[in-house]
Amino acid sequence: MAKKIKSLKELQELKSRVKADIDLRSGPKETQITVHMGTCGIAAGARDILTSLTAELSKASIDNVTLRQSGCIGLCDQEPMFSLSDRSGATFLYVRLDNNKVHEIVQDHLLGGNPVTSYLSKE
Amino acid sequence: MLRELSLHILDLIENAIRAGASIISVTITEDRAKDVLEIAVEDNGPGLSVPVKVATDPFYTTKSGKSTGLGLSLFRFQVEQTGGELTLHRSELGGLAVKAAMQLSHIDRSPLGDLASTLASVVCTNPDLDLQYRIRVDASECEVDVSKVRDEFSPDERCGLTIAKHVYKQIKEGLSALKVTE
Repeated sequence: MAKKIKSLKELQELKSRVKADIDLRSGPKETQITVHMGTCGIAAGARDILTSLTAELSKASIDNVTLRQSGCIGLCDQEPMFSLSDRSGATFLYVRLDNNKVHEIVQDHLLGGNPVTSYLSKE
Repeated sequence: MLRELSLHILDLIENAIRAGASIISVTITEDRAKDVLEIAVEDNGPGLSVPVKVATDPFYTTKSGKSTGLGLSLFRFQVEQTGGELTLHRSELGGLAVKAAMQLSHIDRSPLGDLASTLASVVCTNPDLDLQYRIRVDASECEVDVSKVRDEFSPDERCGLTIAKHVYKQIKEGLSALKVTE
């Protein structure tokens, strides 16, 4: 049986608990990955990187990631690439990606919490 | 050069999104009797602010800090290589309509490519975009309206990945049923 609410304080506590729960489901996810899809990125394989990324996320049962796309950021020679903002608030620019690198980034960075420094842009 | 026509479609969609479009329509028509393949990408964005000739110039871009805009010029090159024509005009949706007509059986025509993954990648990263897709092969057709797919889910389930998976499946089934020419 559900617990009865006996005071205004209990009602406010319940309200903040429910609000936090709703925010968790509908608010921004804690990790955001932006795949750069300018003409240069598309030509270099950005679509296949995104497809590979979604497959890796599904395989690893990771659902707290928001996927976004953006245009060229002027580093055309380093495409395909994505920016990853993780729960620490830091942003990492992974470049010259392929399917194997995407797999490693999902396993090591998203699941393990350790950025794969060798695939980061040196710029 | 983009190796698939679907990558040119992706590039046009990205241009439309960057221009602020919220509705994008992709129509592909294959007429085997006339030996014609037509691709139309239309949007409700602000449309062209420069003449068509300028828009397809590889050294014209609207992006600050860049000196080239290769997307449209590469597509025009691909289309003209097959004896076809690329036209830009005002769309009924209110924005820009980019239409390409090319010879279906031309030896230099790029393959359509992985259209299902292409459109799913757009849906996945833009879950609120109204993407309308239609493909016609002679008298048969198949269409997917992303806003209708989105309505099948409760607000909690409406993440890009979930909608993209359903869109991918529907497009793949449609392409297979219509036996679209690669």
